[in-house]
Amino acid sequence: MKDKLKNILDWLEPKVSYADLRFVQTEKENIDVENGILSSYNVSTDRGIGIRVLTDGAWGFAASNNLDKASLQETAAKALDIARASALTKKEDVRLAHEDRHIDTYITPINKNPFQVSPAEKIDLLVKATRMMLKDKVKKSEGSFSFYKTYKIFVSTEGSVIEQTIFESGGGIAAYAIGEGDFQKRSYPSSFGGDYATRGYEFIEEMNLLENAGRIAEEANQLLAAPPAPTGITDIVLGGSQLALQVHESCGHPVELDRVLGKEISYAGGSFLTLDKLNNFTYGSPEVIIVADATVPGGLGTFGYDDEGVPASKSFLVNKGKFVGYLMSREDAFKLGLPSNGAGRAENWNRIPLVRMTNINLLPGNLELDELIGDIKEGLYLDYNKSWSIDDKRINFQFGTEIAREIKNGKLGKIYKNAVYQGITPEFWKSCDGISSEKYWHIWGVPNCGKGQPGQAMHVAHGTSPARFRKVKVGASK
Amino acid sequence: MNDINSGKELVNKVKNILKNYDFEIIASGGRSELTRFAESYIHQNVAETNLNLTVKIINENKIGTVRMNNIDESIISKNIEKAIEVTKITPKLDYHYQLLKPQSYKIKSKYSKDTASFTPLNRAQLVSQLIKEVNKKGYEAAGAFTTEESTLLVANSEGVFAFDRGTKVDFNCVITRDNSTAHASFIDSDINNFNINKITDELLETALKNVEQIEINPGVYTVILSPEAVAEILNYAGYTAFNGKMIMEGKSFVCNNQGKKIFPDTITVADDPFDKLTMPLPFDLLGYPREKIDLIKDGVVKDGVYDHLTALKYNRKCTGNSLSPESASFGALPFNLTMKEGDNTIDEMIYGTKKGIYISRFHYVNILNPMSIQLTGMTRDGTFLIEDGKMGRAIKNMRFNTSVVDMLKAVDMISKERQTKEGFVGPTVVPYLRTNNFTFSSKTSF
Repeated sequence: MKDKLKNILDWLEPKVSYADLRFVQTEKENIDVENGILSSYNVSTDRGIGIRVLTDGAWGFAASNNLDKASLQETAAKALDIARASALTKKEDVRLAHEDRHIDTYITPINKNPFQVSPAEKIDLLVKATRMMLKDKVKKSEGSFSFYKTYKIFVSTEGSVIEQTIFESGGGIAAYAIGEGDFQKRSYPSSFGGDYATRGYEFIEEMNLLENAGRIAEEANQLLAAPPAPTGITDIVLGGSQLALQVHESCGHPVELDRVLGKEISYAGGSFLTLDKLNNFTYGSPEVIIVADATVPGGLGTFGYDDEGVPASKSFLVNKGKFVGYLMSREDAFKLGLPSNGAGRAENWNRIPLVRMTNINLLPGNLELDELIGDIKEGLYLDYNKSWSIDDKRINFQFGTEIAREIKNGKLGKIYKNAVYQGITPEFWKSCDGISSEKYWHIWGVPNCGKGQPGQAMHVAHGTSPARFRKVKVGASK
Repeated sequence: MNDINSGKELVNKVKNILKNYDFEIIASGGRSELTRFAESYIHQNVAETNLNLTVKIINENKIGTVRMNNIDESIISKNIEKAIEVTKITPKLDYHYQLLKPQSYKIKSKYSKDTASFTPLNRAQLVSQLIKEVNKKGYEAAGAFTTEESTLLVANSEGVFAFDRGTKVDFNCVITRDNSTAHASFIDSDINNFNINKITDELLETALKNVEQIEINPGVYTVILSPEAVAEILNYAGYTAFNGKMIMEGKSFVCNNQGKKIFPDTITVADDPFDKLTMPLPFDLLGYPREKIDLIKDGVVKDGVYDHLTALKYNRKCTGNSLSPESASFGALPFNLTMKEGDNTIDEMIYGTKKGIYISRFHYVNILNPMSIQLTGMTRDGTFLIEDGKMGRAIKNMRFNTSVVDMLKAVDMISKERQTKEGFVGPTVVPYLRTNNFTFSSKTSF
């Protein structure tokens, strides 16, 4: 395949100022179980080539699943035609931040290849876990696993040749307690499909699904009988899973430089973190340090190189509360006179790289969880996302959680259902006065971050440990 | 797979490999091209050709599914072997799986040769025209312009063979100048119905009014929702309330309200592939013919839509709303949501409103409570006060937390005009609505 790509690159080279070709082949296995019965078992293979060219100072991209020589040439010619059409409206030539030539190979380190674990073993685990959850009012339980093996080749006219093999494993379980006119859900280890990582089957084994199935079923039953969360202004502690989504929506998206430059304004929106705010804006309290780190082992946003051939890196986004950095592709980084920090990522062969999150991590503090909760007289502990919404500049947000626990005089108390909390992003992060320690820190995989037209679902992650926020508006959905 | 004959060849390839097994196949493919612009220039411009083949094998009431986008016979054969192996180790279903018998289909997708042959240069020229006009008024344009041609084939070992070909034009644009913004969209099968001048005028008319926004306090308001806003609300309702699987599991608003008259007589919502303004599919992804399904009729809650698996499991009738095997565990979705028109013009609706708010569009809508269909989201790109029957000052964006049920109960005016807007599966055809019960919960700074 590398030779095929190089042949096309040779044909393109005299016609373009830059071109890159990506071959991507993905194997996927997906298992869904409901109430102890297998509901679907799907395996898929998908492969194709995406050709991106810069000619006449403008971009063109064409992609095809047909890999014969004539079709590849046709696809390359199409990319050129498209670039020439793009040039009709250009204001200035597209320029890219410098990147060294890389010839390299990267393979996700794993202990247990998930594709070599028998389907029967995987199904059996989900069958057992989902059966264990069917207690009292839990009338519906579900569990799923997904495994990916993605092989990519990247070649560019700058001479880079990069091969990567990325393994990803993930899944989770959920219990639904169903009553008259109400139902309540509890998920484990995280909501909306569970937790994901660039790891092997060992990641699934470490989830201890069977040890937690009974507990979440019990919590779902308790939620069904629980009162709605109180309304008012109160102190809250966000658990790690919910905090991951908070970081995702209120930090990860607004630091995407393409949003800031207006490239997503018609669809996903813009950002309040405008260029004048870089190194000049208090985003949060001094406790808040947020990094983009595509090198952290096991994170779902971990890789060797992004889809523009830029090596994975770690960079600060928020340092001791100050806003200090964006997520950048090569094109957008050039506009700031900076090198790319390796955030140009494409969902697949048929999509162009966009500025995407990698692992956007809130670094741990130094408090024990008891200390975090112990300093709250009256408040709520909220965890596991149930609903999310944020405005198109990422300022006004509202999130709902599966479960809320009362905090009274520094101790956890009764359960509340249907909790929501609402805030204004910088005010909220400035109210953070405590983050629990590394002992509680975990990188939560989010396999469905949506962006772009045509849509791209990116695999990203967020390292978090529970954190405390003061005077937050809370309430309950009705 | 450009035509029915290549579709038949593909089915025969699968048949030859799977002589002794029951099977279902879905093949979907085509060419999709999208021109994206922002800051008044084309910044992303893409084209994709693809074909996906999904083969589901049914072996002694056990199912294995494989999906591939390489249809060489040897690859199909290898993948099918994998699926057969899967059926040997997976447990049996807890209900009897039945294959659909051959069907006849009353409608076809809409197809336009001109859409299919529309080029990147054609799209760039229209985008350039819009950009020039809005730039004259100091605005920047951003948006996406898609033209595509697609084919869909559904077949099974019982003799179902359904082939369809369609085209789509999808355009959306936001123009901005500081905090002044406006949005417009267009969806159709035929590029000849696309009028860039009309869209440009619509954008500028809204944007020039959407300036110097004032703040208002959260609370319960009378609002007039544009078709864009109604479509978004209705799609979330369709997703959470009218999915037959959720109804069967006791997780839908419909469960306790079926057959009850909850809404005014004027509220009628259907999944209707026969509506002249929609873009229908003739069949679902199992090959069931698409039908008109009443969801709310004359204010009475009727029923939801059902996929093949839910119908088999709960002994219901499949309504022609089956999704692909990858999405089958979700249940079903309405494909072509429609809402019945009313008697009013939009001018009459505004004129008849003493104090209210006009909402052009929502952003980031999500479900807060599925049982009451309580949704949250933000307004964007043009929210205006209505005072004494006139559109007045623009207002800053607001967050709403409102129940669709409460909102529809309080609808007292519906426009005669309906528009076709993007939906979760196929397009949604909806009018303007006025409701006296819409709850804003907080505000934002722009």
